[in-house]
Amino acid sequence: MIGQTLDHYRITAQLGEGGMGVVYRARDEVLNRDVALKLLAQGTIDKVGSGHLLREAQTASSLSHPNICTIHQVGQTGDDFYVVMELIEGRSLSDLLTATGLSMETVTRYGAQIADALAHAHDRGIVHRDLKGSNVMVTGDGRVKVLDFGLATRMEREEVSELTLSYDTLESKLVGTLPYMSPEVLRGHKADHLSDIWALGVMLYEAAAGRLPFRGNTGFEVTSAILREPPPPLPPSVPHGLAAVIQRCLMKEPAERYQRASEVRAALEALQGAVLQSRHPSEETRGPRTLVLRGMQHLKVKNGDVLLLIGTNKGAFLLRSSRDRARWDVAGPYFHGQGVYAMGYDGRNGRHRLWVSTNSLMWGTFLRSSDDFGRIWTNPLEASIRFPVESGNALKNIWQFCLGRADEPDTLYCGVEPAALFESRDAGESWSLVRALYDHPHRPRWMPSNGGLFLHTIVPDPENKARMYVGVSAGGVYRTEDGGNTWQARNSGIRVVFMPEKYPEFGQCVHKIVLHESRPERLFLQNHWGLYRSDNWGDSWQDIARGVPSDFGFAMLMHPHDADCVYIVPVESDEFRCTPEGRLRVYRTRNAGGSWESLERGLPQQGAYETVLRDAFATDSLDPAGLYFGTRSGKLYASKDEGKSWKKILEGLPQIVCVKGAVIQMDGVPAARPRAKGKPAAKRKAARTKSVKCGNRR
Amino acid sequence: MQVVFNIPGPLREFTENRSSVPVEVKAGPDLRAALQALFAAYPGLRDRVLTESGETRRHVNIFVANEDIRYTGGLAMPVREGVEISIVPAISGGIPQCH
Repeated sequence: MIGQTLDHYRITAQLGEGGMGVVYRARDEVLNRDVALKLLAQGTIDKVGSGHLLREAQTASSLSHPNICTIHQVGQTGDDFYVVMELIEGRSLSDLLTATGLSMETVTRYGAQIADALAHAHDRGIVHRDLKGSNVMVTGDGRVKVLDFGLATRMEREEVSELTLSYDTLESKLVGTLPYMSPEVLRGHKADHLSDIWALGVMLYEAAAGRLPFRGNTGFEVTSAILREPPPPLPPSVPHGLAAVIQRCLMKEPAERYQRASEVRAALEALQGAVLQSRHPSEETRGPRTLVLRGMQHLKVKNGDVLLLIGTNKGAFLLRSSRDRARWDVAGPYFHGQGVYAMGYDGRNGRHRLWVSTNSLMWGTFLRSSDDFGRIWTNPLEASIRFPVESGNALKNIWQFCLGRADEPDTLYCGVEPAALFESRDAGESWSLVRALYDHPHRPRWMPSNGGLFLHTIVPDPENKARMYVGVSAGGVYRTEDGGNTWQARNSGIRVVFMPEKYPEFGQCVHKIVLHESRPERLFLQNHWGLYRSDNWGDSWQDIARGVPSDFGFAMLMHPHDADCVYIVPVESDEFRCTPEGRLRVYRTRNAGGSWESLERGLPQQGAYETVLRDAFATDSLDPAGLYFGTRSGKLYASKDEGKSWKKILEGLPQIVCVKGAVIQMDGVPAARPRAKGKPAAKRKAARTKSVKCGNRR
Repeated sequence: MQVVFNIPGPLREFTENRSSVPVEVKAGPDLRAALQALFAAYPGLRDRVLTESGETRRHVNIFVANEDIRYTGGLAMPVREGVEISIVPAISGGIPQCH
């Protein structure tokens, strides 16, 4: 089978064998990613019919949850019926239990994730029916993934007796199921959500005690134990609370168990607070792979909400508001004491994933993610962004986090210090150094700026997969036109004040580059002294600094819908680095840099010596566009009317280094987004279908 | 041969909350081998103590029997049976100049 191709999936390795068929690792040649492919055994297809299997798989594939293995596709080619799923790198719970015991804290943590997956599926009418240790995987960063939802075939009564009678002679794959079967299913009833909860109880018992609750040498003995005997008492090391949860899951009478998986999850989460103490009220429970932040109010984010991500040099804050942007809930500080210089929200492919990079001067920089808006974060054992050993370089910080293009929904980028670009093609599970840029002959001659030598701006061309721009301080603008295999300096016309040659080929200290998706040939740039625009994909730049109090500044922001409209926050000089004349002013151009006007309403115009750093200015992309900027003095300003007027919505934070905005779309309900305004470019293509139709406007 | 590592507070989440962990060292007992044994037993520690190129992080100090390894031979220095090795965050870590 290895080496063969099914439709557009090339089988590359065998991963394992289950009750229903063999699981392979395969390469999806269309989407260029690795997947898991389960080839169903002929016996399975014969028993239930391929039509039935197809329907079951379709239902199961509608499940989208961080703890459920996503089903990508179901297919039939000739006689082969297969299911294509998310490839999970990790170990099964059964393997983990035989290898090492689990701490009680880990048991409750994994159990809560499994319960959460069950709750999600049950709410959608999907029952697992075959929950067991070999169907639960744990990834390297402690995330649990439940496999094979809804794919287990219903066992007929005769088969159950057969299983019972020939238990000791059966092949291992079917034998694995019996110890997890509930009394009512053994009696011939249909499996339902309560038998899933029973199976969860068996797994919790097994994880806590190191052995199954119902055992025997023959199938008859195991069945007998399940039907009639209470499980043996748990060892004394199992805390009271956990024992009580397990006991309630394992009530013989279904009506006496927890009636909903969400109740089991709540019960397990309540235990987690009690297990460990901590000095820090916001980080009560730590485990090696998952960080649960308790003791603070987390955001309750709803569909359509605006989410703001605020990174400071001493932690991260999250803000949410409904679309009217009138009132903001604040949660944080997350990771207090650590520098959060890069943040992002990935809402593609059914995800709702927050990303932060946490930089501890002592312990290094780690990327972390949360799928529940901040309650639980990954806590990696190893740094996922790292320089190759032979490079001799060590990661100092991550300065930028950026999503890939819309047509590459699993692609992510990070810009780091010392200056380099990393990319991920699997939604952030793994990262690799973009070598061609790292090995560029210019790189040894790039100079650190005041803040270091770092790659801070990443701008993929929205229409051309092969083209992308990065900004390096102090290296300049670099562009690739061949998907990252070669890079060229693109700094013609951008001046340098700190070198004898005023217009060198590279070495510029660029601060920010922006473009609008409707005019990808046009870019705007804020430099270390200088404001520029290019109309030819960066081939040349022209000065557009007439009419601003200073052409020194850091932040620059493109209007989300108007390709001619750009915002900046001028700063007096490289020596002073604060807003000129003690006035906090945003400047805006509406004619692509032909002229600039100041926006001051609501902003202090006396004694305001503020700085807005380059990544601390963001938009929410609504209409009218909301704008947000954070200052080095820890103030956050917001405008609901595209900058005409401003309001201070938060102050007293540590130095703000990153501001990002997002609108949350859940359950496939799109938020309304108008098409881009402004004069159409000569080469603009037809409107892409990713824009939402106006009929859905709320 | 056994040595004992003293683990600082922020890293105890990776050693099941223990502040002091004994570690068996086999090959050529220098500090690097002892650290490798520690990292094998407690995944999660390595990238927090060493950079990807294998050097100790700038603001992390390692003391072998209360002596800073910077002055006694670094990671190549030998360690003897039962010695206490302490991983300690340095006081030099603070906000660097920004922008």
